[in-house]
Amino acid sequence: MGMSTAKPGTKAVPYINVTPLIDVLLVLLIIFMVVTPLKPSRFQADIPTQRDPNEDLSQLKPNPLTLVVTIGPDLQIKLNQDDMGSVNETGVLATRLSQVFQQRKETRAYKPGMETRTDVPEDERIEKTVFVKAPRSLKYGEVVKVIDAIKGAGASPVGLQVDDLPQ
Amino acid sequence: MGMSVGGGGKVQSEINVTPMVDIMLVLLIIFMVVTPFLQQGITVAIPRGMRNPEVDQNIIKESSVVISIPNDGEYYLGKTRISLEEMRDRVDQMLQNFKSDQDRIVYIKSGVGVSYGEVVGVINEVRALGIDRIGLVADKEKKGAAATAQPDA
Repeated sequence: MGMSTAKPGTKAVPYINVTPLIDVLLVLLIIFMVVTPLKPSRFQADIPTQRDPNEDLSQLKPNPLTLVVTIGPDLQIKLNQDDMGSVNETGVLATRLSQVFQQRKETRAYKPGMETRTDVPEDERIEKTVFVKAPRSLKYGEVVKVIDAIKGAGASPVGLQVDDLPQ
Repeated sequence: MGMSVGGGGKVQSEINVTPMVDIMLVLLIIFMVVTPFLQQGITVAIPRGMRNPEVDQNIIKESSVVISIPNDGEYYLGKTRISLEEMRDRVDQMLQNFKSDQDRIVYIKSGVGVSYGEVVGVINEVRALGIDRIGLVADKEKKGAAATAQPDA
C-alpha cells in the first residue's frame, strides 16, 4: 500500500531489515556457547601398583606421617583416629588438614627421600600424602566430595586404598 | 573521504551490519561443529560443583583412555560398551600408543550414584597393567573458580 504509490523522484530504498536475523543469530550463538562444556577437569589420584604376593612386607617401615581419611558406612569421616564430622560438612576435615600441613611446614616434615632435595620447591617436599579409604557400598559421589575437600586442603598426592575395603 | 560532506546528498545514517552478520554466522558454525566433538564418550552424571579439580585438556583427547561408568555394572571405554573382563586387554592396547610413562594415566568418569565398589573394581583392573595414576573426572564449580584461584596466586 505505502510502497505502491511511489511518487516519481523519491526512490524506494531496497533495504532488508536484518535486526530480527541478528537477534536470532545471537540467541543461537549464546545457546551453543553455554552448551559447549567448559574446560574438563579431574582429580588426580594415585593407586597402588600390584605387588608381588611373595614380597616380604615385614621390612617396610610404616611412615609415621601417614594420613588416612576413612569414610564409614554411616558417612562419618575419620582422619586417622579422629572424628571429622560427616561427608556433608567436609569443611572440618579441610581445616584440620590445612592445619596439619601448616604445622608440618614449620617443623619441616619432609617426604621420605626428599629431606636433602633442596632443588625441589619446599612445598613439594613436605609430606602431604593422604590416603582415602571408603567402603564399597558407598556412593561414588560421597567419596568425590571428600576427595574435593582433601585436595582443597592442599594434599598431594591423594592415594586411593583399593585393597581390603569393607562392604 | 567517501563520507565527506555532500551538499544536498543525504548522509547514510545506517550501520553496515553485513560484516557483523558474517562474523556471527562463522562463530555460530564453529560452535555447531565443535560442540559434538567436545561431548566425547557417553553422558555420565559426573560430580558437579567441585571446588578443587585441576583442569586437564587431555581428558577430551581422542587418544586418552577414559573409562565411563554411568551406572552400576555398565562400563564404557570411550564410546564402546565393554565388560569388566575385556577391559584389561582393551586398555592395554590403547596404552601401547603412549610413549613415555608420564602419560600413562587412565581417566575414570563415574556417575555420582555409582557405588564406590564398582570404581574400585575398575581401578583393580587398571592397576594390573602397571598404571599408578588415575584421573577422577569431575566438573569444576563455575562461580568458585575465581574465588579459589586467588589463594593459589
